[in-house]
Parts: sequence; C-alpha cells; structure tokens
Amino acid sequence: MSCLYPKPRIPIHDNGKQATCLAELCERLNTSSETIMHRLNGVGLAALDRHTTTSRSYDLLSNSLSQNQITHLQSQLVSFRSALTTFAIKHREDILHDPAFRHRFTQMCSSIGVDPLAGPRKGGWWAELLPSVGDWQYELGVQIVDRNGGMIELSELVRLVRKLRGLSADQDGKGKGTINEEDIIRSVKTLSPLGAGYTIVTLNDGRKMVRSVPKELDEDQAIILALARAPGKYGRITIDELVLERERGGRGWTRERARGALDNMLLQDGLCWVDEQDNIHDRVYWVTSAMKWD
Amino acid sequence: MALSTHTTTTGFLLPSIHSAPPFFTQQPHPASLSIATEQWIQIILKYARHRRLFTVRVEDSEALGNDWDEILRNERINRKLIPSYLSYILTQMVSQKLAVYEPPKQDRSILIYWRLPEEWAEVLYEWVRLLGAPWFNSIIHSQVSSTGNLNTIMTFYEITDPPVESPLSGLPIPLLRQAITLLSKSNRAQIIAISEGEGVRFFPTTGKA
Repeated sequence: MSCLYPKPRIPIHDNGKQATCLAELCERLNTSSETIMHRLNGVGLAALDRHTTTSRSYDLLSNSLSQNQITHLQSQLVSFRSALTTFAIKHREDILHDPAFRHRFTQMCSSIGVDPLAGPRKGGWWAELLPSVGDWQYELGVQIVDRNGGMIELSELVRLVRKLRGLSADQDGKGKGTINEEDIIRSVKTLSPLGAGYTIVTLNDGRKMVRSVPKELDEDQAIILALARAPGKYGRITIDELVLERERGGRGWTRERARGALDNMLLQDGLCWVDEQDNIHDRVYWVTSAMKWD
Repeated sequence: MALSTHTTTTGFLLPSIHSAPPFFTQQPHPASLSIATEQWIQIILKYARHRRLFTVRVEDSEALGNDWDEILRNERINRKLIPSYLSYILTQMVSQKLAVYEPPKQDRSILIYWRLPEEWAEVLYEWVRLLGAPWFNSIIHSQVSSTGNLNTIMTFYEITDPPVESPLSGLPIPLLRQAITLLSKSNRAQIIAISEGEGVRFFPTTGKA
C-alpha cells in the first residue's frame, strides 16, 4: 500500500526543535532553563516549602517500601531455603548417585546465588544435608583452580581463596567459614581423581606449592622454552643469554627477571636442571624437555 | 650437542645422561634430584659389577687416578661429580640397602652390594661345593665331586684370593663374613678359629625331605 498523504514538512513532534527553542529563550532572558521550569511549577517561598514536603514524603514512602521489600525478600529466602532443603532431602539419592543431576543442582544453586560453601568450615548446611557429597570440597577445589594459574605458594593460595570468598584473613583457621592450608590440601587431593593433575609440591626448604601439572606456562617461561628449543641449543640456557637475547629483541629483560624466571623453572617446576661447573657461567640451566638424547 | 652413549676404555657403556653437564651437579628440585640420583645409583652398581669393584669413597670424585675415574668424571665435557653430591648418593644407596658403610660408623666410604649378601652366600656355597680349592683338586682326581670342598676347613684368604680367579676373587672380608653368617643360619657353614686366624667349614645340605 502506498502512502496516500504527503509527508508533513514540519514534524509534529520535534523534540529537538523544542529544545532548541527553549535554549534560545533562555539565552534571550539570560537565565537558566531550570529556573524557567520551576516557574512553570509555581513561584515564591510557598513553592519551595511544597517541594521540601513532597520530597520528604517521597523518602518516607520509599523507606517503608524498601523495608517491606526486604522483609518480604527475607521471608522468601527462608521459604526458598527450606524448599531447597526439602528438595535436597527428597532427591538425596539422585544427588548422591547421579553426577549429572548433582551437577545441575549445584549449577542451579550457583545461578540463584546460593553458595553451598557458605557456613561452618566443615562444609556449611550443604554438608549437614548431604554429608557424603562433600561438594564443599569440590567447590573449594574449583575455587582453588580458579585462583591457581600453574604454580602458587600454598600460603598465598589460602590468602587468595579467602579473599575470593570474602573472608577476612585474620580469622586464622578458627572463625566460621575460614579456610586453612589443610582445607586446601584436602581439596587438592579430592581433585586428583578428576585427573586435573593438581599436586602439592614440597620444596627443599619446606615451602609447599600447589601446581597444576598440565602446566600453564607464564609468558617468560614460554619464551625460555622456545629459546631452549632453538637450533643448536639442546636445552642449554644462561642468564646472560636471556639478557642479550632480549636486548637484541629490543624489549629488554633485566638480569633479575631472567634469573627469576629460570629459578622458577628450576626450583618450583623442575622443568630444568642446573649445572654449576661451567667455565664461564655460575649457573647454566638445562631445560630437560629440550635436551636431545640419542 | 646431542647427548649420546659412550663406551669407556674398559668397555663399559655409559648411558647418554652421563654426557649431560647438569648430571654432575646436585639438583635442587626434589623430583629432578630423585631421577638423577636413581640414574647415578644404577651406573655405580653396573660399573662396580663390570669392574668387580666393592668400594666407593667420597674422595674418589676429587682426585684422579682411582678405579672410578671413568664414572665419576667426564673429561669429554670437563665435569666431575661434586663430592657433596656423591656423598648424598652414597647415603641413598645405604638407605636403599644397596650398600653399607664400610668401615661402619662413618659415611665417607661404602661397600657396594652389586650382589646382595644373600646372593653372595649362594655363590660362595656353590663355588665351594662344585670346584673346591685347587690343592684339593690336585689330590682328588675328579675335578667335580658331589661334595667338592664341603666338610674341609678353608681360610678366608683361600676363598678371596684363590690362585685361579673365581667368582669370589677379591671379595671383601666383611661381605664374605656376611655371606658365611647367612649360610650358618641354614647350617651350611660355620666360622672356626684356626692357627692363621679364622677359617670356615662348609657342610653339605642335610637334604631333609
């Protein structure tokens, strides 16, 4: 169907134009548009009083409304929690024995913001309900995975997970909901059947590190590994070499950075071996994966 | 260079890891250390068997001119096993019961069990039973009798230093003593005081059915 009427030359509702007119008017009167607007509502002290009264009553109303809403929400939450509890008890067997069901249930909880981990350290109301599920351990495990990019010192991991879960660090292993090193170690062990490859590494000096074996390499390590595989290298790397290499590449590695990266690979990850009998260098690092064996 | 195996002048085949420079330094990472140490223990045991060596001392890695030069050093890459690391390896061998400190109550020198004392006991008993000492064979014409040297008294020296080289030639006395002690537990040998010091008498197995 074609348009029977010609387009009006001036749009009927042209807000842009109106605004322009108002601005022009203000300019002519040498006053602000706000003043003009207020004048539309009334003039003088009476208007001011009226305004105050109105806003006060609005505040009151909004307060009582939100109070109502909070109470309502709280009661909803209580009934929801009891419903969830009933559900969990009713479907206990399914949750325990059907991994897919259990997964969906955990997902549901997380999507509506119920943290099964919240609660007493031994496992929250989750554990009360379904003691053998031990989802708390799994979930904590997942949080460990989230925070642990490849290799991390255990104490640092504890701090990060506490932070992640909104727990203050000063509740040293006692307060409810706190996490301590033992919890992390247990959770890492819980993860092991999943083949995630998370392990606790104890260094020679007794420090404990959590590492993921399918190792996520940081950028520096990736660069070192690539260099170690370069033709003719056969895994042999020195600090000098890294500093020089970077100078050539123009990005500039400091000696400290090179040493730090290599020592990480050596001490924490066991990705390289050290040779302390070189004629020139104090330490020569050998990336084992790049060494060539006949 | 790629790491390759190497045959020493005494005909021992060194594994390729022996040509890796870091192999001669004690590794700080526990997993790396345990891998390297296992390799060292295997090399030491094999070489000891190859050359019939019974003793390693921490000093053997420091000074040239001992039986272990080919193993504890690699002149081709100018490396030698750091003595503190060798000391650690010796400790590991003792804790794995592949060696004992000899003399006891120190940790600088070990007696290597490239055969366990139990195995030495059997070797000893078989040797005595089948071959006997040469002087015995010269009297009795048949070289292999069913009883061999059983029931006669032998000195330790006759066992460890026979005129014809035997599987027991050079066996250290402490190890011989351990072997005899094990045999005496099954009533197959007995240590006897003789004029030249100590001797041992071997008994035929009673063959209880």
